[in-house]
Amino acid sequence: MSGLYHDTGVVLRTYKLRESDKIVVIHTRDNGKVRAVAKGVRKTRSKFGARLEPMSHVKLLLYRGRELDIVSQAEAVEPLSPMLSSLDRASQGLAALEAVDQLSLEREPNPQLYKMLVGVLRTIAAEPSPLNVPAFYWKLLAREGFSPQLDECVRCHGSEPAVQLVAFDLNEGGVLCRSCRSGQAISPAALGLLRDILGGRLQHALRQEESPATHEVSALATRALEYQIERRLKAVAMFEAH
Amino acid sequence: MASTYTPPVQLLIDELGRLPGVGPKSAQRIAFHLLKIPADDVNRLAEAIIDAKKRVRFCERCFNVADSTLCPICNDDARDSSLVCVVEESRDIVALEKTGEFRGRYHVLLGAMSPLEGIGPEDLKIRELVARIEPEGIEEVILCTNPNTEGEVTAMYLARLLKPIGLKVTRIASGLPVGGDLEYADELTLGRALEGRRSVED
Ligand SMILES: [Zn+2]
Ligand SMILES: [Zn+2]
Repeated sequence: MSGLYHDTGVVLRTYKLRESDKIVVIHTRDNGKVRAVAKGVRKTRSKFGARLEPMSHVKLLLYRGRELDIVSQAEAVEPLSPMLSSLDRASQGLAALEAVDQLSLEREPNPQLYKMLVGVLRTIAAEPSPLNVPAFYWKLLAREGFSPQLDECVRCHGSEPAVQLVAFDLNEGGVLCRSCRSGQAISPAALGLLRDILGGRLQHALRQEESPATHEVSALATRALEYQIERRLKAVAMFEAH
Repeated sequence: MASTYTPPVQLLIDELGRLPGVGPKSAQRIAFHLLKIPADDVNRLAEAIIDAKKRVRFCERCFNVADSTLCPICNDDARDSSLVCVVEESRDIVALEKTGEFRGRYHVLLGAMSPLEGIGPEDLKIRELVARIEPEGIEEVILCTNPNTEGEVTAMYLARLLKPIGLKVTRIASGLPVGGDLEYADELTLGRALEGRRSVED
């Protein structure tokens, strides 16, 4: 199987290779995760310019190789510059890429994941809201089949207002009441935001200013995704610490 | 996994494989090349590495390569100490010096922030940069990190950190094409980029 093929994708990460080349890892619409060599891309006069940097959304002409493909042409679908216009946008964009890199499989078409990634990058470029990435993580988890129970206690099935839902346990898959509680505490405000995100009121959640509740939802999203993929997420942790 | 090579050969391959840009296959190729060539050639290479490592070190102030405590630029009293240009690697200083445009001093971060690889601010010489500001009377910091994603993230992080201290923080002009490495820029472009530096967002 070799030859030229067209696809569209988002660059997830890059690795330096030899003098001035790079290996680019792309989540494509039709071919899933693709690894390809971009020759001469680090030279400032490279024909590829900024089109093969992480977060770049590009139309590609690729040559299929045995191990690595080769990027023959790359054309920007959207400009990269908005993503690099502020530290918040860049760090949110990178955190979205890292999650997709973990979930995307080589040569396994996943057009839904491509669509979600392009969507979240556009949302971030327009406005770096504090819940962009957490909402994206929760949506990814829902797509992977993990939708937490948010409306009743996962153990005794009590619901509000009869019981107060005060805890969230990843192992149990949802919220718990005061007498059954395990896992970690969750505030009513954070629970409300989670319900907004997973219950069709995403835009409302994305309009929230940074607050203790958004931090709670964000930390919980990171932990839930790490639990699912069974490894630590580096990009998110870096910017939460600062 | 059982190794198919004798221990000394495997060790050599492993060590070579840790070098930047050398994958497992290249490591194998280099190892067998070294085993094939005359012992004298191998000794010369080994001595060059050991000698360079012994004699070249990092400037205690700016982390440029140096052969004594301070690098030649930090030792040069004619340089303007109020102006510091921040770069990722020593080789970027070479590129910027060739332009002849810059009369200030440098600070080498020894890398760039790479959130996807877990390389954060504490892995770079950022604390050391902040510590220089007051004793040296630094007034302006020019961020000359590479015009790619990692370099931009590093520049924006530094701007957010340094601006509140009251420093003038500028970024090398966007005349440099995004995506390339500073070390590949030609002198004219780089000189112009330095001249047309702009204030930076964070
Ligand atoms: Zn209960
Ligand atoms: Zn120095």
